Amino acid sequence: MALRIQRMPSSTPMIALAARVVAVVLALLFTALILAMNGHAPLDLAGEVLSSSLFDDFGLQDLGVIFIPLMLTGLSVAIGQQIGTWNIGAEGQFYAGAFAAAAIGLFVPAPDWLSILMMVAGGFAAGALWILIPTLAKAYADVSELISTLVLNFVAALLVYYVATGPWHDRMTNSATPAIPAEIPELWGVIHWGFPFAILLAIVLSLVLSNTKWGYEVRLSGSNPSAAKYAGIPVRRHLITVMLLSGAVAGLAGMLEVAGTVHRLQGGISNNFGYIGIMVAVLARGSLVGVIFAGAFMAFIQNSGIILQTEGLTTSSVLAMTGLILFLTAIGEELSYYRITREKI
Amino acid sequence: MDLITGLLTTAFLAGGVLALAAIGEVLAERVGVVNLGVEGLMAMGAVTGIATVTATHSPSLGFLAALTIGAAFGAAFAFATVIVRANQVLCGLALTLMGTGLAQTIGRGYSGMPAVATFEPIVVPGLSEIPILGKALFSQNILLYLIYIILPVGLSYVMFYTRHGMNMRAVGENPAAADAAGISVRAIRFLYVTAGAALAGGAGGYLTLAFVPSWSDGVVAGRGWIAVALVIFAGYRPGMAALSGLLFGLITALGFVGQARGWPVAPAFLSMLPYLGTLAFIIVPVIAWKNMRRTMAAPAALGEPYYRNVR
Repeated sequence: MALRIQRMPSSTPMIALAARVVAVVLALLFTALILAMNGHAPLDLAGEVLSSSLFDDFGLQDLGVIFIPLMLTGLSVAIGQQIGTWNIGAEGQFYAGAFAAAAIGLFVPAPDWLSILMMVAGGFAAGALWILIPTLAKAYADVSELISTLVLNFVAALLVYYVATGPWHDRMTNSATPAIPAEIPELWGVIHWGFPFAILLAIVLSLVLSNTKWGYEVRLSGSNPSAAKYAGIPVRRHLITVMLLSGAVAGLAGMLEVAGTVHRLQGGISNNFGYIGIMVAVLARGSLVGVIFAGAFMAFIQNSGIILQTEGLTTSSVLAMTGLILFLTAIGEELSYYRITREKI
Repeated sequence: MDLITGLLTTAFLAGGVLALAAIGEVLAERVGVVNLGVEGLMAMGAVTGIATVTATHSPSLGFLAALTIGAAFGAAFAFATVIVRANQVLCGLALTLMGTGLAQTIGRGYSGMPAVATFEPIVVPGLSEIPILGKALFSQNILLYLIYIILPVGLSYVMFYTRHGMNMRAVGENPAAADAAGISVRAIRFLYVTAGAALAGGAGGYLTLAFVPSWSDGVVAGRGWIAVALVIFAGYRPGMAALSGLLFGLITALGFVGQARGWPVAPAFLSMLPYLGTLAFIIVPVIAWKNMRRTMAAPAALGEPYYRNVR
């Protein structure tokens, strides 16, 4: 009997999940070690995080409020993954959706319900518009979407910063627009109706992808484009639709943030949600329903960072830890393809 | 005249950051590894540079420390992507998040303070008096000669005129053939990914020790991503990477001059120029220079991990 390490062509969902759990635990342990070396008490901090987020009504509400944008940007990235693309620009599409929502909310007079509906449509459209150039460049000239989607993040952030501090600014604050009159009604505490809407969207999209001919063709185009093309599937058309949809969902996230949570447009409104969305999609392994759980987990991590600010920690250290989780997850994902097999001699 | 002189001087200075990082990325991509962590490596280099110069008052030591931290993070990235063969896109993004977050955490104590010592321009007597070009070429800090002359010329020679350079390119084009010819794919990849990351760290150090020169949270401002894009535009050549960096420096300089002279455009829009330029830079070549595709194309095995026993 000899033991042999072998790389298999695929890995099972259970092992992939286990690899993610191990990656997360290792990243948390490593962070705790660093904190302990800097004179913090990691266990006390963890206790504080748990008691003031999971075991506290207001804490749970804060968690829910962060969950909505994170889950949606994660959904956006995961949608792109279905056809084999990486939408690194969810951050920019988020800003674009927020921008459109604020523009409609501030300057188009309408009754509240109509205003909200227009903002939803505007958020979708602005997100899709923001990814339009990278989409066309990818579809017609095979330009990698990695960088083209990313650079537009900076353009969108600058644009929002400009209008929020310039032409649209509020006379009182100078750093944000005036409050937007139409607000998405609240459901529980500060959690608004965007919460169930976002979850429903993920479930519906997941069902469409796994149960329709369109969804089948999209998934096939993603896993083997040449075979899909040979089978007569319009790969290019699917690529364009899916990428625009990915942008639209990130735009919706920005719209909900403006109309449901912040109620005004301000510079830096995205808080890295777009980048953390990539992390959510990776943890979910591209599963649209998995995004709901991965989004909840990442919301917990981000919320912990906010709680720990009172202890002298910064949100940047949480960003660094998010990077570490992503790094270890990528390694774990690769290792989950290996099996130790016994072979008889 | 003053306008053009000022524009060129700033262009060389601003382009240096991008040129150095882009040359580093050329090294990684030529051996077949996409490193999307340049942005994070630059942030780490920038904060390490400023921390070292604050402690030692020596910009050279600061630059050296920036190179070292780049190499250290690069080695971790190379371990994950070359040895374990994990997904390069994910590891690169992770490196960007880690580097940016960590640099901001470390940099809190240095925020907004100007560097205590910087790389000062060296004025070459006589030559710097040449009209228009003199000041731009002969009144610059020493690093610019490294970035625009020594590295591109040296690396081009090694890559295209030596046996080692052929081996290196073979690893990026066809690792299986290189492996069969007795070249260690892992060793070459590990070496050049780490070296490229060191240069990215150095580019961050250049930012806080010669160009800005101070640390603030958003000081890297997407330059790492622009550098990655420039590599595509530069056709994966060190010389072209340096030139593209310069061209981008010119775009940045235009924005600065516009702000200084009070052009009737909001500063935010002038700041968008480099990003919009990047978008144009990666789309235009594909459409306009179709015939150049063979010489300017990406290494054939770019982004693909190499498994000896598959196929």
